[in-house]
Amino acid sequence: MSAPVVSPWKQFQTKKEAYLAYANPWEKKIGSFLSFRPETPAPATPGPLAGLPFGVKDNIAVEGFPLTCGSKMLANVISPYDATVVARLKAAGAVVIGKTNLDEFGMGSSTDNSALGVTHNPWDITRVPGGSSGGSAAAVAAGLVPFALGTDTGGSVRQPASFCGVYGFKPTYGVLSRYGLTAYASSLECPGILSADLALVQSVFEAARGRDLNDQTSLDYEPQAPRPVKTIAVLGDLSDLHPDVRAVYDQTLGHLKALGYTLLTVNLPSLEFAVPAYYTIATAEASANLARFNGIRYGHRPVYSENHEDLVRKSRTEGFGNEVKTRIMLGTYVLRSGFQDQYYTKAQKVRTLIRRDLQKVFDQADLLLSPTFPTPAFVHGDQTMTEFQQKLADKSTVTANLAGVPALSFPAGLSSGLPIGMQLTAPAFGEPRLFEVAAQFATRVPVVPCPGTSLDWSK
Amino acid sequence: MYQTVVGLEVHIHLNTKTKAFCGCRAEFGDEPNTNVCPVCLGYPGVLPVLNQEALVQAYLVAKALRCELSPRTLFDRKNYFYPDMPKNYQITQFHDPVGRNGSVDFLSPDGTVKTVRIHDVHLEEDAGKMIHAGDMSLCDYNRAGYSLLEVVTEPDLTSGEDTEAFLQSFQRLVRYLGVSDGNMEEGSMKCDTNVSIRKAGEPLGTKVEVKNLNSTRFIKKAVEFETKRQATALDGNRTIVQETRLWNENRDVTESMRTKEGSLDYRYFPEPDLPPFVPDKAFLQAIDGRLVELPLARRTRLLTAFQLSKEQADFVTESRFLADFFETATGTGGTGPAAGQAIANWLMGDVQKELNHFGLTLEASPLTATRLAQLQALLDSGRIHIKIAKQLLVAIFEEDKDPERLLKEKGWEAITTEEQLSPILDQVFAQHPAVVEAIRAGDVRQKGYLVGQVMQATGGRATPGLVNSLLAKKL
Repeated sequence: MSAPVVSPWKQFQTKKEAYLAYANPWEKKIGSFLSFRPETPAPATPGPLAGLPFGVKDNIAVEGFPLTCGSKMLANVISPYDATVVARLKAAGAVVIGKTNLDEFGMGSSTDNSALGVTHNPWDITRVPGGSSGGSAAAVAAGLVPFALGTDTGGSVRQPASFCGVYGFKPTYGVLSRYGLTAYASSLECPGILSADLALVQSVFEAARGRDLNDQTSLDYEPQAPRPVKTIAVLGDLSDLHPDVRAVYDQTLGHLKALGYTLLTVNLPSLEFAVPAYYTIATAEASANLARFNGIRYGHRPVYSENHEDLVRKSRTEGFGNEVKTRIMLGTYVLRSGFQDQYYTKAQKVRTLIRRDLQKVFDQADLLLSPTFPTPAFVHGDQTMTEFQQKLADKSTVTANLAGVPALSFPAGLSSGLPIGMQLTAPAFGEPRLFEVAAQFATRVPVVPCPGTSLDWSK
Repeated sequence: MYQTVVGLEVHIHLNTKTKAFCGCRAEFGDEPNTNVCPVCLGYPGVLPVLNQEALVQAYLVAKALRCELSPRTLFDRKNYFYPDMPKNYQITQFHDPVGRNGSVDFLSPDGTVKTVRIHDVHLEEDAGKMIHAGDMSLCDYNRAGYSLLEVVTEPDLTSGEDTEAFLQSFQRLVRYLGVSDGNMEEGSMKCDTNVSIRKAGEPLGTKVEVKNLNSTRFIKKAVEFETKRQATALDGNRTIVQETRLWNENRDVTESMRTKEGSLDYRYFPEPDLPPFVPDKAFLQAIDGRLVELPLARRTRLLTAFQLSKEQADFVTESRFLADFFETATGTGGTGPAAGQAIANWLMGDVQKELNHFGLTLEASPLTATRLAQLQALLDSGRIHIKIAKQLLVAIFEEDKDPERLLKEKGWEAITTEEQLSPILDQVFAQHPAVVEAIRAGDVRQKGYLVGQVMQATGGRATPGLVNSLLAKKL
């Protein structure tokens, strides 16, 4: 087991009063948590994360805490068990102090699709924190927790990390167990880690990773032999970038060159089809995954129903929000018999194509760099991007999910006072490369804390 | 004249201690909703973990049914809403089942061996149970997630009688393999029956699926009913509607449940939570190791080896335990037809009688194959005769001891020498001088009386032949 983490957060257990005086106003301002219980005692285990509090996205099970998934459907559900990643972090000494807000069932990129609360971006409360792990990103950026767990189905950890100016890490598929993660798109999603402290991201990853007997798709972590990163691939065609993102992207290329990396321009022809393939697969899986929510065993139930069919229909009509309903219907549509070849099977073929194209990139380069998201954090209710455009903007993040490879969004600088993240993608088990380059980058461009945040309470 | 065509979808509960995808007990008759956990209740965030034993049993059945075994088997989700199904999808195998293209033989009541082709064998999970009580509906999820194996046959059966015989033969097969008790009454075996009719040489007719059949007898009746119903329809120039019908056991008829138009689109797609299973050499060897001689093959072998009658062969191969018992008993007590006949007669006659009398199964009774063999050996060696042997059998049931020990304790050994018998005869002569005189005077009818007295005095242990010969000598 690795050395204990050195952090002012080690004082958390003894400075709770000072912490609350700091945290409560912030939380009131940004609304990052759906349940907030900083009084929860830390486990007695003297692990590497001993005493560190953390937040958990409210679609990940924590025993005794609500497991709402940001949905009216599950607003009254208390989890009877711990997700494997949560159990492992507890075993390493960390303590869950709250469940963070999210787009309902992880469906969205603003957290505005939560049925249970509004979360604001700590950098500018008129803006969204991103999503779907927006609550986790906002809580970390505001200094309410040193790290938080999110889930990443198509960028749901990396995009809010970019919007809030923190690290957002999505590991190789299977390395962090999905047991306890409320399934949205099983073959794409995995838990992810958000923190402003890169070393802490790695410590948490170390404590949580590895094969889990409760998740048969989980894997033992077998990192690639460390080798210094030399070449970083960049995309030839990067249209549709917001000028602020373009500016930070160009600066990032400059910094990387200055750090001695070779930049290699590549093309990913299949990227064009990534978003449609992603939404086909994700919604297909979602249509089955969300079928279990019917009001019979737990969750929202109508006041009155005629019979079981009526009960299920009313529960789902009343319990789910519009985005969730849209995706369930879309998924049901693409799986219809006679239409599978046209949609679902074709999407799986695109997925194979993307995997191959990415492999070709990694044959020539150690990593792939791209902006995490084409825009900075947008304002609540922004009409400049339609729902459809918002989905198209996931192009650069969904690739890693379709291919099952690791990716990291790192704070690359500010533009117009807002943080902008850049994303590094590595081949499977290439996590050390991500951390290596991000650490190098931070030596030139240190992470800028969100204005008004501080760790003074720990002194 | 129409030909009946029957294809079956047989479901069996596999004999696993725990459910197919979680660690809950797979046990009948427990309090409702006690054998449940977040996984089989479909709580948010849970994942299935495949029960290895269920997979082994599934491959074992596929192998026994001479299927092509899948080198890479996959699970799929079958989507439909019903309150007894926690996830509202069933984990099953659609695209790549454990076995395909098999065949199995069975003995038709007409005396011939027939072959039924197997379309596929696939592993899936069972649903819970919904109970309607007044204006309420209650759900019991104890059964939700049980390992269920579905065997789909090709439409190769041609009568109700054959269908019943096939199913009974299939029940024996799964019991021999130890993968299921195959009990239809308790619901551990279920069978959906597809029936169509056609004129000889014509292509297959429109099929009707009959459900709610919980005994092989009902299935026979349902096939026969459907044959008549469909024939009447065709003769009246009406078409057969493709539909699902339910067996009404009170009226002995099938009744329409839903037509094809109302059928569901299950939207099968690969289960992303379970990686494909690739059986390795060791796994396949383990399957081979668990394969046993199947009932029909065993019946044929025993029938020939011991020159059994058909009834005897059917009886001793009814269960693997009985067949093993029979073979052990005959093996210890001598080989060949004589031993086989003797043991078969014991099993079908007196053993059965005592089992009924004591209310026991052979498995639970004190009579082991070795004890029965010992009993027969005593009989064969002439140390006891048949009447004592039957007494000894009862004693084994009563006292749970070996026949040799019981024989000693009871002093039931046969009197087989003149030295032993002579004094007893002298004693009887002394007690009945008048009778002896009468016989000597020519009244031979009274000889039987003396024999009876000797038998009584020896507690039936005297060999009748010896008594007669010695009696003649002394008279």
